[in-house]
Amino acid sequence: MKLFSLIENEVIKMISKKRLMFVLAILVVLISVFAYGQNHTSEKTKAQLAQRMGITATDDWRKLADQQLIDMKNRLDSPYMDENSKTSTRVRMEQLQYNVDNNINPLEQSAAKFTTKFMEQAIFLFLPLLIIMLAADMVSGESSSGTIKLLLVRNVPRWKILLSKYLTLVILEVIVVFLAFMLSAIISGFFFGFGGWLAPVATGFKVIAGKLDTSSVLNVPQWQYSLMVYSLAFFVAVVVGSISFMISILVKSTAASIGIIMSTLVAGNFLSFFLSDWKITRYMFMVNLRLTDYLSGSFQPIEGMTMLFSISVLLGWTIGSIIISFVYFTKQDILV
Amino acid sequence: MLKKSIWYSIMAIACVSFIVLAIGFYQAIIVTTAVNLQPSSNEIPQTTPDSAQLTTKKTSSFKVLLLGDSVAKGTGDEKNKGFSGYLPEYFKNSTPKEILIDNAGIDGLESIGLLEQLQSGRLEKTIADSDLILISIGGNDVRGILTLNALAKEDQFKVRQDSYLGYLKQTLKVIRTANPGSILIFLGLYDPYEKANSVEDIRLLNTWNYNTQQLVEEDGKGLFIPTYDLLKFNLGRYIAKDGLHPNSAGYQALSNRISKSVESIITGS
Repeated sequence: MKLFSLIENEVIKMISKKRLMFVLAILVVLISVFAYGQNHTSEKTKAQLAQRMGITATDDWRKLADQQLIDMKNRLDSPYMDENSKTSTRVRMEQLQYNVDNNINPLEQSAAKFTTKFMEQAIFLFLPLLIIMLAADMVSGESSSGTIKLLLVRNVPRWKILLSKYLTLVILEVIVVFLAFMLSAIISGFFFGFGGWLAPVATGFKVIAGKLDTSSVLNVPQWQYSLMVYSLAFFVAVVVGSISFMISILVKSTAASIGIIMSTLVAGNFLSFFLSDWKITRYMFMVNLRLTDYLSGSFQPIEGMTMLFSISVLLGWTIGSIIISFVYFTKQDILV
Repeated sequence: MLKKSIWYSIMAIACVSFIVLAIGFYQAIIVTTAVNLQPSSNEIPQTTPDSAQLTTKKTSSFKVLLLGDSVAKGTGDEKNKGFSGYLPEYFKNSTPKEILIDNAGIDGLESIGLLEQLQSGRLEKTIADSDLILISIGGNDVRGILTLNALAKEDQFKVRQDSYLGYLKQTLKVIRTANPGSILIFLGLYDPYEKANSVEDIRLLNTWNYNTQQLVEEDGKGLFIPTYDLLKFNLGRYIAKDGLHPNSAGYQALSNRISKSVESIITGS
């Protein structure tokens, strides 16, 4: 049988199992709640600002922005500024200038901002959990329901069956990331308006010698930034998917495999406290999932932890678990 | 049939998204790892005119150095002048000498930042040449604790104040090592928030100012100039649109006060 029709078979199986619908429903509910909450918070912040400054600073943001622009320009002219902070000032200026030119209050939320923020928050726990829902029973589900026998007695090599399952998983991961993007863009659009995709966002932070280096910071349009964020999210999805795929083969019980991978992920949150002191923790996949932090520069700089390092670690885990999966699956005795 | 069409659309979406995501992934790596293409080229030309200016005019001028945070720098002035614009205007009645201002204020500077700036040695020559040094620091140290609750505030305040006073002490030492003779003016903190602050906050602010004054006045040629009293009832007139910094009128009022305080010294020098 051809690989393509095997994948088709697997995807249709997934659709019939209503797993994808489940993921979709969770996404809709959660994004709506987040968007509502975000809306609520930003209203509150505005009220607080107005109260604190005594004036309606939120309406007068233009004057404020003009003032800040002049200040920053002076700052750039000052000979006592070091080069690092100059670059970040320049980037800030570009952003503010864009806001002024396009009449956008910087305090205002937008669908584009929300969509990006959502994935930045979801990438290390929420997205992996969704992926686990799909991946954890791909093989173990067949073992526990006994259908694996029916699959294997057909005249198809075992590696091909497993490969079709793995590729199906990758396809579903793409779909989940795609759905997350579309849903948060659309749902938050109703709350904050659909614009904001062209606004400049600062990125390009680096860690040099354990310190955050801002000398090469630059602005990219929001759409490009969120594309990068979602791409990293997809990469994370593949990594987590591969690992839970392996566990699902090794353990055979769906409940156990979900439990194992979930507790590992949660443990990652604790482990990241030890990152700077305990070197071996940085080779764990769980602590390297926050890839988007490298884009936004919002991480605690740790010597030796860079984007490339994290991606290599994750890639290592992915390849390792794929190899183990295939070796184990083709060699194991299957008794039902 | 429905399943078939879902399968095809899933496949199509997956393929397109995969390619797009792959491109994005590549970009993300490039952006965070690419080497810096623009070397820090404009650093050298900017420092030269300054030092040239300092060495040529030495005798018949009165030199003022502004040190510290955004207030020293002149942030908030809609006419973009600040102390560097107004001090010469007010000083010129007292002295025939030319007034030269060096503005080394940095927005958002905290006391530790000021100390680091001075210890870096870049300002050593400027400090040594100055006849008057105006310092405004501490506002950013104290600002962070405003939002805390009453209990945590009290504790944090003590911690911040201790470290601030420590840094300030060292800062004054560095200045006096480079220049034992100049007049040192320290601007006290004011309270830019009209309604939000409680009596407790004001008490903390006054404690801060009092302790600062004690420290500054230990220096024989140091002078603490309060700003709190000048601004308390004039926030509407003297505070800029950002609700934090003085505006043009505010800087003028402060400059006027400073010039009055040092009038005889300037005339005599």
